[in-house]
Amino acid sequence: MKQIEQLTDSVFYIMAALSNPRHGYAVMALIEETTKGTVNIGPASMYTIIKKLLQQELIYLYDDSDSRRKTYLLTQKGREVLREDIERRKVMIQLAENGLKEEQE
Amino acid sequence: MKKTKYMMSGGLAFSEQKDMEKLHKKSLKGWHVKSFKFMGYELEYGEKEDVIYNIDYRVLEEDEKEEYMEFFSSAGWTHVCSEANMHLFKAPSNTTPIYSDKDSKVEKYQRLGKLINGAAGVLLVASIAFFLLSIITTGTFKDIARIGFFGVLALTVPAMMTAAAVYYQKLRLKI
Repeated sequence: MKQIEQLTDSVFYIMAALSNPRHGYAVMALIEETTKGTVNIGPASMYTIIKKLLQQELIYLYDDSDSRRKTYLLTQKGREVLREDIERRKVMIQLAENGLKEEQE
Repeated sequence: MKKTKYMMSGGLAFSEQKDMEKLHKKSLKGWHVKSFKFMGYELEYGEKEDVIYNIDYRVLEEDEKEEYMEFFSSAGWTHVCSEANMHLFKAPSNTTPIYSDKDSKVEKYQRLGKLINGAAGVLLVASIAFFLLSIITTGTFKDIARIGFFGVLALTVPAMMTAAAVYYQKLRLKI
């Protein structure tokens, strides 16, 4: 499987939610709530991404005492990858904001 | 006894979307999927409902099943049936599709491709083996090898067509 280089939006949202231990449904619910329903992650996408993040050791199984609701958490590597992507996204936003400001002046 | 009827599949690798749309239309008329049946679905008559169907392909380990199903049920999807690593779900028509982004959708077809390529590969090797056998043998053995060759070939050709169809789906998504 291909290594995640630039995080897709879905992966970014899920990793952001897993900065604290959460199970799959809690992640989906948090994303939906935070984005006021504009971003919905489907369960098959969610499951695929969780498996991929586990395989790449960006998250780890935090608690599997409830087999229906296993919780996951970012690993140290996951935190680093997420931080790098935040910086990448900040540059994008800054570029856009500066561009719009210049236009107004 | 509830009324049931059979609906043939167009072949999931070729027409997954068409199959799902057909099942949606059937549900509007009161016919709901009960289970997979040989090359198709068994439908059961009941209340008219506006439900949509989505399918996933995935090999699940025993200890993964519960969590997998929980993801779907908490997102509003009801598990209908599973067979040969295919899992069919249904939900009210305004529910978010089970695949919401392109990357994971591409991976869905990669997984399906792997399953089918494996089968097609085994069949291809078997047909080549029978073919060679029919050349080097004589008499009764030759006849048996020939029958074997055509028998396996009859399965190999559709398997390879299916593999090609999945590859095409994957390619179309990536563009």
